[in-house]
Amino acid sequence: AIEDLFTSLNKFIERSDYEQAVKVAEQVLSAAPGDEDALRCKIVALIKDDNIDKALEVIQSSQKLPSDLSFSKAYCLYRLNKLDEALESLKSQESNTATMLLESQILYRLGRMDSCVEVYQKLQNLSIDSLEINFVAALVGAGRSSE
Amino acid sequence: NPIVLDLAYNMIDFPSLENRM
Ligand SMILES: [K+]
Repeated sequence: AIEDLFTSLNKFIERSDYEQAVKVAEQVLSAAPGDEDALRCKIVALIKDDNIDKALEVIQSSQKLPSDLSFSKAYCLYRLNKLDEALESLKSQESNTATMLLESQILYRLGRMDSCVEVYQKLQNLSIDSLEINFVAALVGAGRSSE
Repeated sequence: NPIVLDLAYNMIDFPSLENRM
């Protein structure tokens, strides 16, 4: 039954066994095509398994993409160094902590340091773990390390 | 080069499967 598959899927996720998680998610999708939880799990497991190419392939071949997967799509594009596409993909999304973190990392890679610093300044008050590290990198990159 | 962390990665997480099991 689907419930048993999800129990098994959950077990593999808890063990960080992402390869097996992908397989079970695929079993769910065979039994219940288009199941959004299974689709989400498959894509996240592929990303956590560092299989970014495949994750993007799954995302792009999905007819109706659950909206929370738009972020995963932008993230995969970033990881594959398709930076302009990644930025474009973020633009169509509602801004939140996740999109701003990704935007700052894309801007950093693009060498757009002042814009990057601007985003970190907006995130500054949210007490995000280790944000300071990237903020400093951006300031250094912008030639503003004295700040 | 300064160290840059992939903080966006940490924002990607599995959905809750609580109601599916
Ligand atoms: K960064």
